[in-house]
Amino acid sequence: MSREKGYTKKNFLKGLFIENPLFVSILGTCPALATTKSVEAAIGMGILFTVVLICSNILVSLLRKIISEEIRTPAYIVIIATFVTIVKMATNAFLPELYSTLGVFISLIVVNCIVLGRAEAYASKNNVFDSLIDALGMGLGYTLALIAMAFFRELLGTGAFSFGKIFTFIPAFKLQIIPKGYEISMFQNPAGAFIVFAIILGVIAFIKNRKDELKLNKAKQERIRKEQEAKLAAAKETGGNQ
Amino acid sequence: MQIFISFILAIISSMLIDNVVLSRFYGICPFLGVSRKVNSSLGMGVAVVFVIILATVICWPLYNFVLVPAGIQFMDTVAYILVIASLVQLVGLFIKKYSPSLYKSLGIYLPLITTNCAVLGVAQSNTDQGLSFLSSLANGIGTSIGFLLIIVAFSCIRVRLESANTPKALKGLPIALFTAAIMAIAFMGLQGLFSGIQL
Amino acid sequence: MSKVAYLIIAISILVVLLVTFIVSFVIYRRTPVPKGCEDLQMSEEKCSTCGHNECHFYQGKDKE
Repeated sequence: MSREKGYTKKNFLKGLFIENPLFVSILGTCPALATTKSVEAAIGMGILFTVVLICSNILVSLLRKIISEEIRTPAYIVIIATFVTIVKMATNAFLPELYSTLGVFISLIVVNCIVLGRAEAYASKNNVFDSLIDALGMGLGYTLALIAMAFFRELLGTGAFSFGKIFTFIPAFKLQIIPKGYEISMFQNPAGAFIVFAIILGVIAFIKNRKDELKLNKAKQERIRKEQEAKLAAAKETGGNQ
Repeated sequence: MQIFISFILAIISSMLIDNVVLSRFYGICPFLGVSRKVNSSLGMGVAVVFVIILATVICWPLYNFVLVPAGIQFMDTVAYILVIASLVQLVGLFIKKYSPSLYKSLGIYLPLITTNCAVLGVAQSNTDQGLSFLSSLANGIGTSIGFLLIIVAFSCIRVRLESANTPKALKGLPIALFTAAIMAIAFMGLQGLFSGIQL
Repeated sequence: MSKVAYLIIAISILVVLLVTFIVSFVIYRRTPVPKGCEDLQMSEEKCSTCGHNECHFYQGKDKE
């Protein structure tokens, strides 16, 4: 098998940063805005999403030679819907608090563009192991993105991080960071979700622009230096001739 | 008469007070993606209205008369996504075959509707909350018209934003999201619209 | 009716739905695009939300 070294690592890391599904590809925005009121809910959503993504990627990759090109999309939708149902029932049985917090958004993983997109773009063309790594990277990238959004929303909106409300198996505790009365409750509202998302995207665009500018400047300086060198060389040559 | 009034009130409440996009967060994808031009957002909105209403009318009986008696309520998500996807394909097929002019304006948006959260979200939340048929219908109509309203209004603002002098980093999506945030704050003002009305 | 009968009806309805979906999907793809709509595209070159270039919903399907 001819493949470059370190492909697995690259494949895993691309989901985290370069191709982050939420912040770079802007996919799966609905749950990202709706379930990020608290860090705990975001972690729960991310885990459920990752589980569905891993299962669907593995099955799609296993069946990639059996499912004909013609009926690919229907088959994938049914596969994803089945896994979502399984995950939903498991959540309802083992983590009822998480189930009631996320509500309809567990079912909405079915229509999340990321799962279908990964199945079509990656798992249908690659082997099981690569698909699993791809799903892990993408799922983790999405989870981290959700946590990043929830971090700012919970911190600014309630002034504290509270754990143990949704994952009842850990002891409940509260981490007050901003003193009471100084929180901005708007960040718990829909408007706050939009603002946090907008600021994060803006910061990413700013960093990207900055990098491009630096690269452009470097290239420009390089060109100027080369031109000068060429001029110097030419001057020397003509000087030598005379 | 009483039923009619509460039906209308339910439509308005799910259209404005509990707006799909700005307070329930369904259908953000098309809201951000297909809203750069007024025409395309209008096409998308109309297609979504049509599919949501049809899906609501089909999914409620399917759940209550087929899945519940058989005791397999847990299959609801699978059943709904099958209904929605086949609906979209059938409607698309019909338009493609018999109405080229409609296909020209709606054709490219039809495949997008299957992956629109709003359709599945409405069907799912209707049965999750155990609404009656009339309430689900009102929810479906209100939600879809609310979506149409918001996406068209948003695209009108975005057309202006394109020519505005925004900072380079905020160009495109970030400034659109800020706009959406301001719209969300404006719609929060509609809460309590019905607080004085006895149902 | 007994519960088993209901179960059989429900499952058969689900199967019918699945078959409808697959058949309509295949027919939809095989139906020729009407005249004058051959080169319909999203008004944006790529759907900016779904930045997924390879996504089959956004590309290729209607160009065929």
